[in-house]
Amino acid sequence: MMDRLSAVQKCVFAIILAGMVMLVTIPLLFFITVSFSNATEMTQFPKRMFPSGEVTVYVEPEEGGKYELFYDYKDGNGYTSIITTNSASKLEKHFARQYAVTIDGDELLEEFAKTRTEGAREFTFKKDMFYNFRQFFKIVPNAGPALKNSIIVSLYTILISLSLGSLAGYAIARYKFKGREQINVGLLIVRMFPTVGISIPMAVMLIKMGLYDTMLGLAFLYSIPNIALTSWITSSIFIGINKELEEASFVFGANSVQTFMKITLPMAFPAMAASSMYSFLTAWNDTISALILTNENQTLALVVYKAIGTTSSGIQYAAAGSIVLIIPALVFTFIIRKYIGQMWGGVEL
Amino acid sequence: MSYLEIKNLQKKYTANGPLIVNDMNLSIEKGEFIVFLGPSGCGKTTTIRMISGLEEITGGDITIDGESIVNKLPRERGVSMIFQSYAVWPHMTVYDNIAYPLKLQKLPKDEIKRRVEKAAEATEIQGLLKRYPAQMSGGQRQRVAVSRAIVVEPRLFLMDEPLSNLDAKLRVTMRTELKRIHTQQGSTSIFVTHDQSEAMSMADRIVVMYKGKIEQIGTPMEVYQDSATRFVAEFIGTPPTNFFDASIIKEGKEIYAKGEGFYYKVPASLHQALADYVGKEVDMGIRPEYIGISPQKKEGEGYLCDAEIDFIEPQGSHSILITRIGTNQNVKIHTVDYMDMKPGTKVSCYVKNEMVMFFDRETTKRIK
Ligand SMILES: Nc1ncnc2c1ncn2[C@@H]1O[C@H](COP(=O)(O)OP(=O)(O)O)[C@@H](O)[C@H]1O
Ligand SMILES: [Mg+2]
Repeated sequence: MMDRLSAVQKCVFAIILAGMVMLVTIPLLFFITVSFSNATEMTQFPKRMFPSGEVTVYVEPEEGGKYELFYDYKDGNGYTSIITTNSASKLEKHFARQYAVTIDGDELLEEFAKTRTEGAREFTFKKDMFYNFRQFFKIVPNAGPALKNSIIVSLYTILISLSLGSLAGYAIARYKFKGREQINVGLLIVRMFPTVGISIPMAVMLIKMGLYDTMLGLAFLYSIPNIALTSWITSSIFIGINKELEEASFVFGANSVQTFMKITLPMAFPAMAASSMYSFLTAWNDTISALILTNENQTLALVVYKAIGTTSSGIQYAAAGSIVLIIPALVFTFIIRKYIGQMWGGVEL
Repeated sequence: MSYLEIKNLQKKYTANGPLIVNDMNLSIEKGEFIVFLGPSGCGKTTTIRMISGLEEITGGDITIDGESIVNKLPRERGVSMIFQSYAVWPHMTVYDNIAYPLKLQKLPKDEIKRRVEKAAEATEIQGLLKRYPAQMSGGQRQRVAVSRAIVVEPRLFLMDEPLSNLDAKLRVTMRTELKRIHTQQGSTSIFVTHDQSEAMSMADRIVVMYKGKIEQIGTPMEVYQDSATRFVAEFIGTPPTNFFDASIIKEGKEIYAKGEGFYYKVPASLHQALADYVGKEVDMGIRPEYIGISPQKKEGEGYLCDAEIDFIEPQGSHSILITRIGTNQNVKIHTVDYMDMKPGTKVSCYVKNEMVMFFDRETTKRIK
């Protein structure tokens, strides 16, 4: 009975877990698929799960040196006539835009010339899998600098919220002072505020300070909720660190600064790594505050957001942009995770 | 002047709070192994934290080698400490843990290495230097803590219940080990425990503490055989001393202790001390091994009363017999002569070797 029950429980857990995994991964997979699809594949329905690596067109020779191109040519039925032309540049553009095939126009004409002697036939070309990515950086000209900006603003945010937040967390954990509880609750409330709510007053302040449209200014804004979160997370870690560990350091010759730097801080490191991840993600993913607080110096998330919001035809470029946005976040998260896992011979805190 | 002097030491945690350490006076000679013994909450930890400098003192003075240390920071006092939780740093290897104090002294690398290895050898953890504490057992971590404490060659070695987190068997081996290291290093040590058998087996002298005060300072034999207060007689020894309510009565030349169920003729050696207590109530204490029993009726010298054995707890080398005498329902008798006595047996009880103790009801001090 016990065994059967646990088997049923296992089943239920497995289903719930699978559901959750699917909920998270399916949109992500979809976006990945889209980012590797060409414009023609985008219009197909149902959409293919995996974008193909090549493109096949059916070419019929026409009068006046023209060629008629058919895509999705199925035994002569249901094919779509796409373009009839004899211009090399038009062909080249068409192949790039529609099929993500980057090939010289004259080369195409040369190939198609074969149909004049051999009759209409199919041609298969290799797809340029990273066409969308290249295109994203081309049509969004500030994407490169935006990527750099995003990295800078994330680093600033981590630095500010970690240094201030962990010091505050330490004070809350170790010292008894008036209003300690209130501060603790206050931190949580600060965390609850939507950053966009502070963005407008912050914009005014930053303009006065000459920090408007700078990454440092933006990092200040992102740090506000994250200082609160960091001090909240680290204070509970500092409380959990046995006081005797610090006292041992005092007895064995260290002063307060040495003790904090060599004992307390390293032991709080996993918590700080975790909170730095939150800081990073805030700074990396935010669009709305960046929209308010920047002008020329946009961040990658904002650029991607604008690309998605404004391009109706090229959703696949925006998807490529999103992937570009996701990858550093994933890498950062995995590095931190691995680092925490490997520390101190696998000690659990 | 002694090596370590504690004079009128006092501690209050809050201005209007109770005195946690109340006027403590103690002199310790170089090379001694001193044990602070007392029940939990009596102020042992507070006292050694004041000696180490981790806690401020409220009053009094502490000197080492004639020099007051109370205004010095912990790191300037030349003491090392083994904490109850061991306090080995989890993010450092064993080597780095032991080397930490030496690195802070900015000693040359090769000297640090030499001293760490020597300290590790003394505690037999040479093979573990590259490990992290998480990869070690409690006993091994304890050894790391000991190595770190001896590597600095301290003037004074403080240990706060260092064995209490170990399992029973390891605790006994570590006792011997710590004592061996103490002797080898020629250090002066203060060891805190609430376990009286630990105290008895390790100490050169035991400081028995109760409610922030020193009850008695003496060798293990002294505190056991010649307990200064009722608390000491009760706290030290397993099973503890049996106590009886008694009133002192004078009959002609003799003095008797009369209680419910017994009428005991006090030995002549105590007559003078008890002279002031005639007609008064006192506490009478007899250790379990000084209550003799005899299955035959045996009145006469040392006779206490007749009793019936209720239970018997065999211990192998001896047995504990449990009986009732007067109002004390749980009198324990340590016997090697009648180890397989049956419950229900009627016996005569007597006091062996005049080993009876009387305590003043008011001051709880021993009357002698
Ligand atoms: N930091 C502190 N603040 C207030 N009271 C304390 C503090 N530390 C200990 N005490 C009190 O002092 C008394 C003695 O404690 P302690 O020295 O730890 O005893 P022991 O080590 O003998 O068990 C206890 O009653 C305890 O509650
Ligand atoms: Mg204690």
